[in-house]
Amino acid sequence: MSDELFDRSEFISYFRDEAEELLQQIDAELLKLEDLVDASHTDPEIVNSLFRALHTVKGSSGMLGFSDVQGLAHKLENLCDLLRKDRIPLSEGCVDILFAGRDLLTDLVAAAINGSGPPRGLPEYSARLDQFVAVYEQTAYLIEGTAGEGAAALATSESEERTIAGDVVEQFEAEVARLLAQAEAERREHPPEPVTPVDVAPAAIPAPQPAEAAAGTVAAPASTPKRASMHQTIRVDIDRLDTLLNLVGELVINRTRISDIANTLERLIADKALDSSSALIAPLTKALADSAALLARTTNEIQESIMKVRMVPIGQVFDRFPRLVRDVAKARGKEVQLVVSGADTDLDKTIVDEVGEPLMHLLRNCVDHGIEIPELREQRGKARAGMISLNAYHEGNQIIIEVSDDGNGIDLEKVRARGLKQGLISVDDRLNDRELIELIFTPGFSTAETISDVSGRGVGMDVVKKNITRLKGVFDVDSISGGGTTFTIKLPLTLAIIQALLVRVADELYAIPLDSVIESQRVEMPDVRTVHGSEVITLRGQVVPLLRIADFFELGGQRDPEKVMIVIVGLGGRQVGLVVDSFQGEQEIVIKPLSDVVGRIPGISGATILGNGSISLIIDVHSLVSDAYSSGRVARAEYSGV
Amino acid sequence: MAERKGDNDQASAGVIQVVSFKLGNEEYGVDIAQVQEIIRLVEITHVPRAPRFMEGVINLRGQLIPIIDLRTRFGMRRIDATKSTRIVVTEIGSKKVGIVVDSVSEVLNLPIENVEEAPEMIAGIGTEYIQGVGKLNERLIILLDLTMVITSDEKSDLETLDTGALAATVS
Repeated sequence: MSDELFDRSEFISYFRDEAEELLQQIDAELLKLEDLVDASHTDPEIVNSLFRALHTVKGSSGMLGFSDVQGLAHKLENLCDLLRKDRIPLSEGCVDILFAGRDLLTDLVAAAINGSGPPRGLPEYSARLDQFVAVYEQTAYLIEGTAGEGAAALATSESEERTIAGDVVEQFEAEVARLLAQAEAERREHPPEPVTPVDVAPAAIPAPQPAEAAAGTVAAPASTPKRASMHQTIRVDIDRLDTLLNLVGELVINRTRISDIANTLERLIADKALDSSSALIAPLTKALADSAALLARTTNEIQESIMKVRMVPIGQVFDRFPRLVRDVAKARGKEVQLVVSGADTDLDKTIVDEVGEPLMHLLRNCVDHGIEIPELREQRGKARAGMISLNAYHEGNQIIIEVSDDGNGIDLEKVRARGLKQGLISVDDRLNDRELIELIFTPGFSTAETISDVSGRGVGMDVVKKNITRLKGVFDVDSISGGGTTFTIKLPLTLAIIQALLVRVADELYAIPLDSVIESQRVEMPDVRTVHGSEVITLRGQVVPLLRIADFFELGGQRDPEKVMIVIVGLGGRQVGLVVDSFQGEQEIVIKPLSDVVGRIPGISGATILGNGSISLIIDVHSLVSDAYSSGRVARAEYSGV
Repeated sequence: MAERKGDNDQASAGVIQVVSFKLGNEEYGVDIAQVQEIIRLVEITHVPRAPRFMEGVINLRGQLIPIIDLRTRFGMRRIDATKSTRIVVTEIGSKKVGIVVDSVSEVLNLPIENVEEAPEMIAGIGTEYIQGVGKLNERLIILLDLTMVITSDEKSDLETLDTGALAATVS
C-alpha cells in the first residue's frame, strides 16, 4: 500500500489508540498468566487472548510499515504459540521474558509513532528471546518421536549446546524428560485424535507450525475462542458532544414553547374564548398536547443520554495499576496482592484523565512505605504478602476512591522527627496525630531514608493533595500504626455539572453552588443587628455578617422591610449570609464560562442555561465574599470577636 | 480599508460586501465575513458589574453570546427596543459577540475606491472604532472596526474567565 493513497496520520492515530488498548490487555493477561506459574499449566483462554492481541499489533504495524514493531510482535506471538501448544512449560522465566517483551513493544510503538529511532535493547532482547525459544523448539521435534527427525533435531541441539549456558541445557533436558513423560501418560489415557490447528479469530495463524500433530498434548480446545468482553466503542471529540448538548438544549426550549401553546389553546377552549363551533379545534389541541408531552419525554432522555456519554468507568485508570504494583513490589523485594473493586464506577472523562497520576503515587507509596518486607510481616503475624485494596463507589453526587494497605501505617514518630529535621515544626509544637499526618502533605516532605527510584523524592503526597484539590475533591488519610493506611479521595462526578441552589434577586435568577451552601433561612428584620453599620445576624451563638447580593451587584430593587431571606455559605471556616429575595429550589446545572469579551466579574464564575432557555449567572462564593470583605461591604465582626 | 488583514476575494476584485444597519440617522456597515447571523431581539440577561456598554448575555442555541449595546458604546442616547431592533451576531476571531442595532438595512457591494479614510470627527463617536467611510450614491456608510468595538480601554482585562475558580469547596 502506498503512503500517498491514504491519510497516514489518521491511520497512525488509530494505530496508537488501538495499540495502547492492546498493550493494556496484554499486560492484564500476563498478570493472570503469572498467577498460574505455580500451577504449572496454562489456561488456553489467556494464552489465546495474548496471541490474538499480539497478532493484531503485528498486523496493524505491518500495514503501516513499522517493521520493528511487527518483528517483535511476531516473535512474541511465536512464543505464545509454543506456550499454547504446551511445547514450552509455563515458568517464571517465560512470563518475565514476555513482560520484558511487552515493555519493549510499548517503547517500539512509541518510537514508531514519534518517528524517533528504535529504543535501545532491541537486539539484546531479540537474542535473549531467540535463545529462549530455540531451546524449546528442539523439544517439539523430540516429542515427535520419529527417529529421523528426532535425530536431526538432536544434532541441531547439540550444535546449539555450545552457545547455550549450562544451566539452560540442564533445564532443557529436564523439560524434555517431563514432556516426554507427560506425552506418554496422556497417550495412554486418551487415544491419539486428529488435532486441527486452533482457529483464532479474526485471522488465521500465519505462525510457523513445526509440528502439526503433537499427539494429544495440545490441551487447547479447538473451538473458536470466546470473544473477550470487548466493548464496541468509537472515539468522539468532546467538543462534538458539547455541540450536541447545546442543540438538545435548544430542542428542550422549543418543546417548552409547544407545551405552552397547547396549554393556552386548551385554556381558551375551556374559557369558551375560542370559537368552538369548529369541531376540529378541540381534538387538534388535544393531539398537540399529547405530542408535546411525548416530545418532552424524548428530549429529556436524549439530554440525559448525552450527559451519560461523557461518563466513563474508572476502570480505564485502574487497569494499569496491577502491573505497576507488581513491578514496584518486585523491585522492592516485597510480596503484594492488589485487590481492585468498583472498576465499573462511572465518572466524567475529564476527571478520569486527571485522577490516574495521583492514584499512581498513592499506590507506589503503599508498596514502598506501607507494606513491610515478607520476613517482617511474618514476624508480626501477618500474611507474607501484603494486601492493597483499591476500591471505588458512588456516594450521592460524589465518587469515593479508597486506597488502603495492611502494612506499617504511618510512623508518626518518624514523621515528627523528620518534620523537626526539615524545620517544618519546632520542638515546642504540640501536634496531635491528625496534625502530624497533615505534615506529610508539606512540599518536600519525605520519611524515606534513602531516595529510591520508586518514591522518596519528596514530590509525592503534596502533589497528590494538590491534584485532588484542583479537581474539587477532598483528600483524607487514616492510619493505624502497624496496621495499615487508608487514603480516601472524594471527587465530584463531573466538573461540568453541579448541584446549585437557585435564588431570585431583583428579578434575576442566580445559582449558588450547593457545595458552598450550609443552610438557607428566613430571618425577621428585628433579628438583624448592625455592627459598625454592617448587618449581622446571630446564628447558634455565632455572629454571621450579611451580604446583600442586590447591593453587591448594584441591582437596585425593593428591600423587604419585614424579613430577609438568607443563604448561609461557608468559606474556609467562616460563614457569611447572602441576602436574596427568594429561594427557587435546587437544580443540577451545566456550567458554561462567560465569554472573555465580558471579562472577569468579581462574584460571578459563569452562567448556566435553565430548562426554559433563560440564563442564570452562577455566583462564585469565594470571590464574592473576598471582594466584599476587601471593599468593606461586610462587617468583620467575627474577626474582632464580637 | 485596503490594508486590513483578512481581505477576501471581493476586496481583491475591488468590491467589499458589508452588512449595513442603522443607529439613529446614521448608517453603519460591517464586513459580511464577520457576521454570523442576524436575529430579533431576545431576552438579554443582565451581567452585573460588567463594563457599561455590555448589555448582558443571550442564549443562542445553547451558546452564551455577550451582547454589546452599540448606542451605549458610542455614547448615544439609549432608546427603547422597537419592532425593527436587531442583534447582529458577529464572529471576530474566535469570539462571538452580538451587537444591538436599531435596524438592519441590507447587504451592500461597496467599490473599494469609494471608501475613504475616517474623517476627524463623526457625530461624536471616537474615530478608533471606524475603519473608513463608504460612499454609495448619496449614502454615507460608516465602516466599523469590530475588534476595537469589543476591546477598548474601558475593557482592557481580557483574561479568560476561570470556571475553575467556581465555588470554594467547604469541607
